[in-house]
Order: sequence, then C-alpha cells, then structure tokens
Amino acid sequence: MGRISFFLKEAFGSLRRNYFMTIAALVTVFLSIVVLGGVLVFVFTTDALLKEVEEKVEITVYLKTDPDPTAEEVAIMQDQITSWPEVKSSSYITKEQALQRLKEDYADSPEIFESLTSNPLPASFEIALVDPQTVDIVAARFEGDSIVDEVRYGKEIADKLFAFTDQARNFMLIFIVLLGIVAILLISNTIRLSIFARKREVEIMKLVGATNWFIRWPFLIEGITVGFLGALVATAVVLGLNHYLVGTVSDNLAFLAMPLDAVPYVLVTVILLAVGVVIGAAGSAIGLRRFLKV
Amino acid sequence: MIKFEDVTKIYPPSTVGLERVSLHIEKGEFVFLVGPSGSGKSTFIRLLIREIEQDRGRIIVGGRDLDTLRSWKIPYLRRNIGCVFQDFKLLTNKTAFENVMYALVVTGNATGASKKKAAEILALVGLGHKSDSYPNELSGGEQQRVSIARAFVNHPPLLIADEPTGNLDPDTSMGIMQLLYRINKTGTTVLMATHDREMVDRMRRRVIALDNGKVVRDQKRGGYGED
Ligand SMILES: Nc1ncnc2c1ncn2[C@@H]1O[C@H](COP(=O)(O)OP(=O)(O)OP(=O)(O)O)[C@@H](O)[C@H]1O
Ligand SMILES: [Mg+2]
Repeated sequence: MGRISFFLKEAFGSLRRNYFMTIAALVTVFLSIVVLGGVLVFVFTTDALLKEVEEKVEITVYLKTDPDPTAEEVAIMQDQITSWPEVKSSSYITKEQALQRLKEDYADSPEIFESLTSNPLPASFEIALVDPQTVDIVAARFEGDSIVDEVRYGKEIADKLFAFTDQARNFMLIFIVLLGIVAILLISNTIRLSIFARKREVEIMKLVGATNWFIRWPFLIEGITVGFLGALVATAVVLGLNHYLVGTVSDNLAFLAMPLDAVPYVLVTVILLAVGVVIGAAGSAIGLRRFLKV
Repeated sequence: MIKFEDVTKIYPPSTVGLERVSLHIEKGEFVFLVGPSGSGKSTFIRLLIREIEQDRGRIIVGGRDLDTLRSWKIPYLRRNIGCVFQDFKLLTNKTAFENVMYALVVTGNATGASKKKAAEILALVGLGHKSDSYPNELSGGEQQRVSIARAFVNHPPLLIADEPTGNLDPDTSMGIMQLLYRINKTGTTVLMATHDREMVDRMRRRVIALDNGKVVRDQKRGGYGED
C-alpha cells in the first residue's frame, strides 16, 4: 500500500514537474486518437450505410401480361421462390396492386389515369435476398420461364457497389493498422524524449539500489495517465463532433431515411480509451528500456 | 568484506582502468584509495557496485562473487553498499529528506519508522533544519552530507566514497571526514578514494595507492605519499 501510493505520488509529481513533456505527450496521444476515432466513426457509418444500400438490392420478376399467368402458375412459382435458401422474403404484387401503387405515386395528377380502359401493368414478384451477393444466381433461375417476361435487379449498380464496399473495407483495415503503428512510434518517441531528459535521474535511482520495476512503475503510471487523458479528450471530441454532424445532416437530408448515427458509442469509447492506455504504457516501456541497463 | 583477485579492466579500445589488482579489505576497516588522476580509483569503485564489469579476475563483495551475480540481484547488492559520489548524485527534484527517504523506500521501507530514521540521520549530519530544501538550495558541503546520509541510512555493512571532499573547502572536508570516521566506528567498512593529502596524512589509516591501474603501495598506517 505504501509502495503504491509512493508510485502514484512519484508519477503525478513528475507529470506536474515535466509539464512541457506531459503536454507534448498529451497532444500526441490526442491527435493520434482523434484520427483513429475519426476513422472508426467513418468505418461504422459507411458500413451501416452500405449495408442499408445492399439490403435494397432486390429482384423484381415481371410476369407476362398477354395472357396473364393463371393463379395456379403463380402459386407454383411462389412456392418455388420461398423454397430457395437464398431468399429472405418475397411478395407477390398483383396487377391491381401495381396500378394502385402507381396511382399513389402520381396522386398529384390523377388525370393521367382517366384514359385507361384496362390495366396495362404486369404482376410481379419482389424478392429480398439473405445475401445480396447471390443476386446473379437467383436471377438466372428465372431465365426461359414461360410466365416470366423480365427480371430486373440493377445488375451493374449492384456489382459496382459490391466491388466498392469490398475495397473500402480492405482499405480501412490497412489504414487503421498503419495508423496504430505510427501512433505508437510517435508516442514512444515523445516519451523517450521525456525519459532521456531524466536519464541522470534513472541512473541515480539504479545506483541507490532501486530495482527495474521500482523505477518502471512511476513511468508506466505516467504513460498510462497521459494515454488515458489524451484518449478521453479525443474520444469526447470525436463522438461529440459525430453527434453534432449527424444531427445537422439528418435535419437537412431528412428524406434519406437512413440510420446515420450508426456508431456504437460505448464500444468506440472503450476501444479508444484502451488504445490510449496501451499506447501510453507501451510508449513508456519502450522508451525506458534503453536506460535501465546500468 | 572485499576481495580482488587479479582483476583487470580495460576500457575499449585499450585504455587501462585497472591492471592485475589483488587485495583484501577486512570487515570494519577504514581504507584510503589514493593515486594521481586517471590511476583507476573510480574504476575500482565502479567495479565494486557493478556499474561496470571486469575483463579478467574475480571480485568478491560480502562473500558474493560478482561474476556469478544475476543482473536482477544487482539492486540488492547496491543496497548493502552505501555510495557517496564526488558529484553527489542527488535527485534534483526531491528535497534533502526525500532523497534520504528514497534509499529507504527502494528497499520497501516506507513506514512511519523509516521516516523517523531519515529525519534522525539528517539531524546526525547536521542538516535537520534543511531537510525540506532542494539540492540546488544547498551548498556543496551540505549536498555532500545529504548524500552521506542517504548512503548510510540503511546501515550498510560497506560504505564507499569517491572523492567526497573533492569540491569542498578544508573545514567542510574535515567535517565530512569526521562523519565518515563516526560511521566507521559503528562497524561499517569505509572505503574512500581521495586526492586530499592532508586528510590522509592526518588520519593514518590503511592506504592503498594506485598508479596507472596498478597497486603500487598498500600500507597499514600510511600517508598520502611514500614515508
Ligand atoms: N568510461 C570510460 N571509458 C574509457 N576510458 C575510461 C572511462 N572511465 C575511465 N576511463 C579511463 O580509465 C583510466 C582510469 O580512470 P578512473 O576514472 O578510474 O581514474 P581516477 O583514479 O578515478 O581519476 P580521478 O582522480 O581523476 O577521478 C583513465 O585513464 C580514464 O581515462
Ligand atoms: Mg575518479
């Protein structure tokens, strides 16, 4: 107990005394964690948006109209579709429902429907998939079917989107790893500088008979404190900014109707604080290593 | 207490620190280590506290062969050797009292009793009234007394002083000398490297003279120069 309070006193005393180095280290941690936090927020947000878009990849199967398929043919196809494991859900849109939708879309100008004598719209199946990537396979199964007129699923858009999301995710991962390495290097360097300034102090401690761990603990506590505080402020800034931006964007782009605030605040806070603490401790340990060999 | 057997230390690439030194210092002795600048006095002391390692020969301190001493045990060796340096080596951001306390705290003694001990030892070296001063607020002689207090506070069986009076005026030096003498009286072996001719001549203690890394004289009750 006496020992722990001694270490704490040593650590905080030296943080106060070497306030210039403390501030330098704090700023380094802060900047690193802000960038890391920014990337995390970006990853979570785009990931959620992309998932949302992916989910909108639907297959629409238009049935022939001349003649319209019989109820029996429709029922057979419906059974088939629901039996496929790739299919998440499907619904049958009758000719009447299709017309009804169209009328709703053009509720402002009902006059364009006045001249209609019969319903020209085809009935259709709308199919949502478990995995949007299987859209090609599922769509191909309708080819040549006697009651199918046309299959639509925005093939090119889907393909491009998948290519882009895959690439974006890989890129982000690489970026995060690189960023982590840069942050640790920066911080261990800052801490090394501060330890270098205290090389003599460490030497004296060793000559008086302090063990390596006895010397190390106050430095580790310093590193952890700096890491934690820097990360705490950075987290508040990143998440606060995200919250503010999401608010502004969704006010202006209300029609998007997408979940913009997809960031798990608690998880991101825990990750950033943990990274800050680990970086601070690792920086101290790495920085100190050279000087303990007296 | 201390045994050197044919010890040689060469600083790379080829500077002789010590050359084939063999000697024996008994428990409770008071020994002066003399010799011109560069003769190897500090090298001798740095070998004793394992700040550096010899190239050849054997060094035994308190019955322990330093060659076979594991590096994690070095701190424990140093706690049994009080060390006083010419440049004091005080922690500049700690007060006189905290500097003395540090030597106690590293051994795991941070209790109320040890605080009392630190205060007492500071009073003993005549600095009771300056225990809250920082090193830069103390004179050289006062700083040296703090460093002696720190070296002695654990009651080590061996106390080593490397030119403890090197920077001090004769009166202050005499005070420091008296202090070391009193410490020796408590049974602690004292080894002191010095250039202080007058002091050595006055004390008439064992004198080991080094020159160019070699022991050139070892006298039971010697003076600074040849008699
Ligand atoms: N770290 C070192 N690297 C290289 N040479 C060294 C080193 N330390 C000491 N020496 C050399 O070793 C020799 C002995 O030095 P040492 O410091 O032991 O002398 P000394 O007797 O303590 O001298 P002084 O009375 O000036 O303190 C000298 O020639 C010195 O230049
Ligand atoms: Mg010397």
